[in-house]
Amino acid sequence: MEMFSYLMATGISTGALYALVALGLVVVYKATSVVNFAHGEMFMLGGFLAFTFHVMLGWQYMVSLVLAVVGSFVLGIGVDRVAFRPLMQRQTLVSVLLCMVGLSFFLKGLARHLWGGKGDYLTFPPLVSPEPMQFGGIMIMSQQLVVLVACGIVMAVFMVFFKLTRAGRFMQATADNPKAARLVGLRVDRVYMMTFGVGAAVAGAAGVLMAPLTLLYPDMGFMLFIKGFAAAVLGGLTSIPGALLGGFLIGIIEQMAAGYIHTGLQEVAAFIIIMVVMIFRPTGLLGGSRRRKV
Amino acid sequence: MKMFRKSVFRLSVIALTTALFSGSAVADVQTQGISDNEIRIGAFGPFGGPVYLYGKLVMNGVAAVFDEVNEAGGVHGRKLTLVREDDNCKPEGSIAAVKKLAYSEKVFAIVGGACSNATLASVPELEKSGMPMVINSAVADAISTPVKKNIYTTQLTSSIESRAQLDYALNKGAKKIAVVRMTDAWAMARYNPLMAYAKKKGVNFIANLELQIDAPDATPQALKLKAAGADAIIFILYAKPAAVMMRDALKLGYNPEWIGETAINDFAAFQKQVGIPGALKNFATITAIAYQPTDPEMKSWATRLKKLFPNDELSTFNLNGIGSAQVMVEALTNAGRDLTRDKFLSAMGNIKDFESDAYAGKITCDHPRSHQCNQTPGWLALRDGKIVRLD
Repeated sequence: MEMFSYLMATGISTGALYALVALGLVVVYKATSVVNFAHGEMFMLGGFLAFTFHVMLGWQYMVSLVLAVVGSFVLGIGVDRVAFRPLMQRQTLVSVLLCMVGLSFFLKGLARHLWGGKGDYLTFPPLVSPEPMQFGGIMIMSQQLVVLVACGIVMAVFMVFFKLTRAGRFMQATADNPKAARLVGLRVDRVYMMTFGVGAAVAGAAGVLMAPLTLLYPDMGFMLFIKGFAAAVLGGLTSIPGALLGGFLIGIIEQMAAGYIHTGLQEVAAFIIIMVVMIFRPTGLLGGSRRRKV
Repeated sequence: MKMFRKSVFRLSVIALTTALFSGSAVADVQTQGISDNEIRIGAFGPFGGPVYLYGKLVMNGVAAVFDEVNEAGGVHGRKLTLVREDDNCKPEGSIAAVKKLAYSEKVFAIVGGACSNATLASVPELEKSGMPMVINSAVADAISTPVKKNIYTTQLTSSIESRAQLDYALNKGAKKIAVVRMTDAWAMARYNPLMAYAKKKGVNFIANLELQIDAPDATPQALKLKAAGADAIIFILYAKPAAVMMRDALKLGYNPEWIGETAINDFAAFQKQVGIPGALKNFATITAIAYQPTDPEMKSWATRLKKLFPNDELSTFNLNGIGSAQVMVEALTNAGRDLTRDKFLSAMGNIKDFESDAYAGKITCDHPRSHQCNQTPGWLALRDGKIVRLD
């Protein structure tokens, strides 16, 4: 029972991170129908920006966090202006996807150039005590609790943003039907720009939160992108609750598989489950096919 | 008869001309990359990708040594020029890099070779070219064993490290030994010799677990090790997964003997990566390098590196480059002003008890018995809060 509790607790905290990465991916995909293959690198750059502000410049953690999120938001807008918008104007979705792949390599190279000479894995001081703490009878890293709580807050903020704010509603309307949104006067290009910015900001926030646990290195984004993408696919690429559910499920599945079957399954178990789910439910657990009313 | 004499004469002229030209070609190859005031030295390894540290940063260390030598007037009046090639850590990349360095850039020798698999793939091309090669990062034994005339290594090889890890555990009196490993080519080059040595010693590992390089968590592994009651854990891991492994074990209050290898030889950085105060109490690791980057003895190298590469902080990767480049410079110096490939290789083979600024042990290239010139694994551990050498 003790083993189960530990694996479940760790699965939930790791899954929260995957969910956050998946959330950013789904936000962009819902609005633009583009999978942002550079999303992991935005996560990575969020962590490195916070490292620069907090560790190299010695600024306060909260200030660094906010600046890193703002920096990621600006980066997301830059991606929209430089890569997404010019290519989408020519209606070439494949070009956009390839551009995103290229962008991910470019951002990794940039990170290696800027921070790569400082050792193999950079450390980011934890927000709370590095000592593990007892929680419900099991030991858990304090930073993992911080990640869990912070992920919950970020997710809640996004729910509120999409449900209650005008910008959130514009984004949803554009996602549902860009042509109709344009017809009723929405500035769709601006909504796309905002979407890329918000998606990158979520990635940046996740990067800052996870930096003390995962350490910082230029290639850290790819693994988290793959896990976040898998979570989004598992939950349904068009469903925000699905992305969250997928994230938590992947976190838990890989812990259980490694703990009860074989440690070699830690990286692949979730993907095996996804393959099975895709066979029976191609749109993911909570993803539905779009309905059109005639 | 006249015709016969004419033919013999013609054949003799052709033979003489061929001999003269081939002789000059041999002479050209022998002195390729050398001019009156310069010796061109090649290097190959990854400039990017996850293992760029073993390429780019090691090369930066080599460049720092060349800068120091050149500042002091060069080797017998010749300045050293480093020509870098990116092999992307791929076999086809390293073969192309060797060809380019040998036949296009026409360097005199190579110091480098970062990734074991990639470097191993380039060995036939290196042997064919006859280019002197000093390996400074790749650890696979097969690169330098059996002995190849023109290939030497100044890096500890994987089998040396694996044997040392198991010996350390046994010397500590460990009864239940476990291994936690990655599964890529780098790890397998260490894992296979470890298993062979364990068999020879009659050791059965109580747990044999996998952990991937990017794993954000190692709780399942920690729970299994604790349940098995392992009293010594051998790591075949990079620093990042090793830090995650230790952190999650300590979370469970489990702290056996942890035995690292040269991928975790920046002790101070590793301490920060694990992040829990006192975590490294039972940790010891092999190092090829005598010093930590922050040690006062390394200050001049840190300053020089910063001058050349303002973004860099001195790391153990740089120090590997520094050690290997100093060995190469020693051999170049001993080979004399009338430098040729053969003289250089002879000088490499005769290096004995050479003390570099970086390596933990003295460098001895025992030609023709062994071209693995670094046979001394150093050990680092934390004692009373200070990083100390155990050897």
